[in-house]
Amino acid sequence: MRADSGARLEEGHLRPPRALPPVPSQDDIPLSRPKKKKPRTKNTPASASLEGLAQTAGRRPSEGSEPSTKEPKEHPEAPVQRRQKKTRLPLELETSSTQKKSSSSSVLRNENGVDAEPAEEAVIQKPRRKTKKTQPAELQYANELGVEDEDIITDEQTPVEQQSVFTAPTGISQPVGKVFVEKSRRFHAADRSELIKTTENIDVSMDMKPSWTTRDVALTVHRAFRMIGLFSHGFLAGCAVWNIVVIYVLAGDQLSNLSNLLQQYKTLAYPFQSLLYLLLALSTISAFDRIDFAKISVAIRNFLALDPTALASFLYFTALILSLSQQMTSDRIHLYTPSSVNGSLWEAGIEEQILQPWIVVNLVVALLVGLSWLFLSYRPGMDLSEELMFSSEVEEYPDKDKEIKASS
Amino acid sequence: MLQTSNYSLVLSLQFLLLSYDLFVNSFSELLRKAPVIQLVLFIIQDMAVLFNIIIIFLMFFNTFVFQAGLVNLLFHKFKGTIILTAVYFALSISLHVWVMNLRWKNSNSFIWTDGLQTLFVFQRLAAVLYCYFYKRTAVRLGDPRFYQDSLWLRKEFMTSQPPKGSPSDQRM
Repeated sequence: MRADSGARLEEGHLRPPRALPPVPSQDDIPLSRPKKKKPRTKNTPASASLEGLAQTAGRRPSEGSEPSTKEPKEHPEAPVQRRQKKTRLPLELETSSTQKKSSSSSVLRNENGVDAEPAEEAVIQKPRRKTKKTQPAELQYANELGVEDEDIITDEQTPVEQQSVFTAPTGISQPVGKVFVEKSRRFHAADRSELIKTTENIDVSMDMKPSWTTRDVALTVHRAFRMIGLFSHGFLAGCAVWNIVVIYVLAGDQLSNLSNLLQQYKTLAYPFQSLLYLLLALSTISAFDRIDFAKISVAIRNFLALDPTALASFLYFTALILSLSQQMTSDRIHLYTPSSVNGSLWEAGIEEQILQPWIVVNLVVALLVGLSWLFLSYRPGMDLSEELMFSSEVEEYPDKDKEIKASS
Repeated sequence: MLQTSNYSLVLSLQFLLLSYDLFVNSFSELLRKAPVIQLVLFIIQDMAVLFNIIIIFLMFFNTFVFQAGLVNLLFHKFKGTIILTAVYFALSISLHVWVMNLRWKNSNSFIWTDGLQTLFVFQRLAAVLYCYFYKRTAVRLGDPRFYQDSLWLRKEFMTSQPPKGSPSDQRM
């Protein structure tokens, strides 16, 4: 880049009459491109060239960086240029090729915002992006969507001249009335003039949004967790029911065979307690997610209105507390040795006294968990936190919200 | 602006730490063949909570809201998470110290007292709430609104500040 600019600088010295655009215009070029054209034509070639000479060192490298905006504007000065066109062919070739590149990427820019440009373009476009932030976005957006007069090559002289340089034939371009906009993962043809009207209402932030945002990542993770929760609800209900059935079967009729239960169940007690905690934790978190428990006022209102999901999360929490309170007994069962063994935790008549409440609590937990599962399956799609977290306060993205609601 | 790849990485790290926490809370009682195993599990668990606290604060610092000086707004919004995480961290450490203290000589002994059982219940309940609030906060921090100036932020700023807010705004 540096050597290149040096070479160009020398070139500039050789050809003083070439009119260069005045420097101050660099800042506000994208602001009002169509308006800018007229005052520029009034510049006398002599004064412009003087200015150009003084600024060549500074200007030349940046000229390459903004070819798409500048090059077309030099058409009004065509009479001056045309004389030297043949000697300037290498330079012309370079700049017009970048112009081509940027014009091809401008389609991308229209659809996805600036960030969707190709990587090589990002370096070139930097100065433009800086200026963008200082200006009102609606104006910019409308400008970008509109068809610029300079982009449409109407007179046939220029293509004919360039035929010798480009091997590919350059036809006469014309504005297409349609713009293709991606909505809900599909491209729809939209009228350009209509789109300009609608995009004028959209905020600055939409301009800079890449296609896959952190918001999408968060939503994906949230939904993935909801799926895990859905699985754990069912699995937990099944497990708890199976557990209570096993306990009652092992305990025998009227809990007559408690020592048999202890001997058979002692290897199972602690692993099951652990699994129960894991599943209960997952289910509780998932149920809280569904009612958006962090917004307590909403959660309480839902609970008082006997909303099934709010009830389910309350039941899960109760089940969790009950299940945790049996940790001591579970450990005692886990360390069971017959009372005859020395140092046993289980004295002779104590079994029923300890096991009775434990069995009841297990039964209650199974009932609560089963009920919660039923309540949740009444409205499996309900997810308040997704609605509240990702869309309630978002006035800026009205379209996006509709999309989310529609897809969920 | 938060990069999507960075956010995904941070989020997966947070979820990894959370799931480790959940795993240890669930199965640490089973893995007590030797007291050292439990000790190491507990130490890593407490470190994980600590790391999660550090990560969430780094995420706070990264937001536009924080950089604009609206620390209060941010902390007010996520005070539940911050308080709960701190409480859970304290409960975890005390339970771990207590359990390890009782089990160090004989890892298979029956150590439960009413006090320990109560602490155990509270610690496990706090773990569930911590997991829920932390997960929610981590997911919420992916909202691009926290990383840019917006109408929402201005509105929040106006509501969070009393009428005298504007001169302090100028001072900033």
